Amino acid sequence: MNTLNNFHRLGAIVIAGFALAACATSPEQPSDAERARAALNELQSDPQLANRAPLAIREAELAVAAAEDAERGTELAAHLAFIADQKVDIARAQAETRLYVDRREALREERDQLRLEARTREAETARRQAEMSREELEQLRREIEELNAKPTEQGLVLTLGDVLFETDEATIKAGANNDLENLAQFLERYPERDVRILGHTDSAGAASYNQQLSERRADAVKSYLVSEGIRASRITTAGRGETTPIASNDTAGGRQLNRRVEIIIENPSVAARR
Amino acid sequence: MTRTATSHRAATRVAIAAMAFALAACASTPPPVASLESARQAIAQAERARAADTAALELAQARDKLAAANNAVENENMMAAQRLADESRVLAELAFARAERADAKRVNEEIIEGTAILREEIQRQSGGPR
Repeated sequence: MNTLNNFHRLGAIVIAGFALAACATSPEQPSDAERARAALNELQSDPQLANRAPLAIREAELAVAAAEDAERGTELAAHLAFIADQKVDIARAQAETRLYVDRREALREERDQLRLEARTREAETARRQAEMSREELEQLRREIEELNAKPTEQGLVLTLGDVLFETDEATIKAGANNDLENLAQFLERYPERDVRILGHTDSAGAASYNQQLSERRADAVKSYLVSEGIRASRITTAGRGETTPIASNDTAGGRQLNRRVEIIIENPSVAARR
Repeated sequence: MTRTATSHRAATRVAIAAMAFALAACASTPPPVASLESARQAIAQAERARAADTAALELAQARDKLAAANNAVENENMMAAQRLADESRVLAELAFARAERADAKRVNEEIIEGTAILREEIQRQSGGPR
């Protein structure tokens, strides 16, 4: 009985001893100073930051060492660890600031390079556009020249001679005049330009007859243009009869000049140009 | 002449009073005047760097610690006052450092943004109608 009791007592002591040993070696919470040291180590092992705030890192180093030297668990230790924490954070912030500043030059260079490129392209585009509108104007000038039209204030005036029509007839001679074909093409290319057609005769015959004849000839030109695909709404016609001669009706040559059709290609209106 | 003599006498009296005060203070630990002043200056520097916008928490903590330090002086706990003043100062310095970092970051971001806009512009120019 006694022996048994002794065994029990021994067992209890052994267990208590184990428990105490476990307490002593139980994994400790890292102290505040150790945490500050870890943060400092992390900063110092970052290749981007380690060399960018040497002074502040040195100060943090001293503060961490002071915190480590303090007796654990004291108010002083807590105070020194607090200071060390802030010093490590200050060093990190300064190093990161430095890193931003050091990267800035490269960022600026990249931006300036792009800015230059953008301006160059802009100038190139503007130059191309200017060239294009110059080319367009040049082409228009050439086409007007081919039309045999005279630029006037009201527009381009093209005068078709009487060779277009048989005497007393209002039918256009087939292939008699290149000018009409050119006119149709021109109107097709510049759809914003309207056209006015005026018929004229010489003074031979009755004035009323000449009036009608001039109207019919103007209409004949219109019909031709419409048959070539020009919208009728762009074309207005009128007959002037014998009222507006451009030469004397006393000679055959003068009368021939007076028998004519005038085609006025109007300048594009401001609204149409928009 | 009389006036000068009077002001001399007044100055002497002030000096004596100051000395007496200083001696009285010496009897216990003196308040950590220099540390308190350092903390105040560090806070002012952080404020000038607009830490209130970019490191508001750190700045607020620094102010709280300084207020606590002043309280400790009133309670004649000079040891605590000293430590609180020092803690206030490092917090203010941290606020300043983080405000500077925020500024540096913002400048870089503005450059990066400008670069992105230019890149878009170039894209438009080369991709758009000729």
